[in-house]
Amino acid sequence: MLNYSQTLTEQISVQDLQMKEVKPIMKLIVRGKKREFISAVGKSLNILLPTESNTSTQSDKLTAVWLSPDEWMIYSNEPVDENTNNYETEELLNNNISKLNLGAITDVTDQFVMINLKGNKIYELFQAGSPFNFNNFQNKKGAVTQTILNKIDIIVHNQDKNLVNLFVRRSFSQHLFSWMNDAASRL
Amino acid sequence: MFIINCPFCGERDQSEFKAGGEAHIIRPKQPTELSDDEWAEYLFMRKNIKGVQFERWNHIHGCRKWFNVVRNTSNDEIKAVYKMGEKPPSY
Repeated sequence: MLNYSQTLTEQISVQDLQMKEVKPIMKLIVRGKKREFISAVGKSLNILLPTESNTSTQSDKLTAVWLSPDEWMIYSNEPVDENTNNYETEELLNNNISKLNLGAITDVTDQFVMINLKGNKIYELFQAGSPFNFNNFQNKKGAVTQTILNKIDIIVHNQDKNLVNLFVRRSFSQHLFSWMNDAASRL
Repeated sequence: MFIINCPFCGERDQSEFKAGGEAHIIRPKQPTELSDDEWAEYLFMRKNIKGVQFERWNHIHGCRKWFNVVRNTSNDEIKAVYKMGEKPPSY
């Protein structure tokens, strides 16, 4: 990512809970309703968009996250090249989706900040500020939810046991991160 | 505080939603032919029932989709939830 200024420079480690920003991660929002759209994305990226609500799918390089019946977020599993703003995935989708009027692709790499959380107190932290019931969610690998944490919109992706990726809008990220630091210190 | 069963995401807390007012209000096909009173009737006048009411809700902090809810306004009991365009249940 060209000229990327990191919003969260510190890494927080409190009571068996580690939180840090992972950057630069490519993030794309893909939207479309037609059946051809889902198959075109599948063919282009070799990844099936999840059609079941609150789930995700994963390939070697990418993760597709269900956001709504006609909206998904695709993000890269590994940080991408810092020296460019062009992504092969985006270009591929632009050619195979946007230009054929099957759906829309939006680059939200700069819009969302990805925070990686590790440890066994993740959900205790979420419970401190979210109305969402995480009881079933935390045992379901690959589960996804959009909800509120400390009144801020977030996307939570349960990658594995005690390993969660959290996406938050960039302008809210510092505030959320400092709240998480504070809340974690009180667990 | 109550729980709403979003037809797309499942059960979520009310704080994730935004109420969108009364449902099934049809926009007049020729607004220019209406009198001011008739237009105001369409634009502003709502039933505001104490009891079972048909409402629109938006899952604003989730999937951002609109849907309909049948809610008892006196005790917040939700009788039914159905998607936009679906036939409303009878109550």
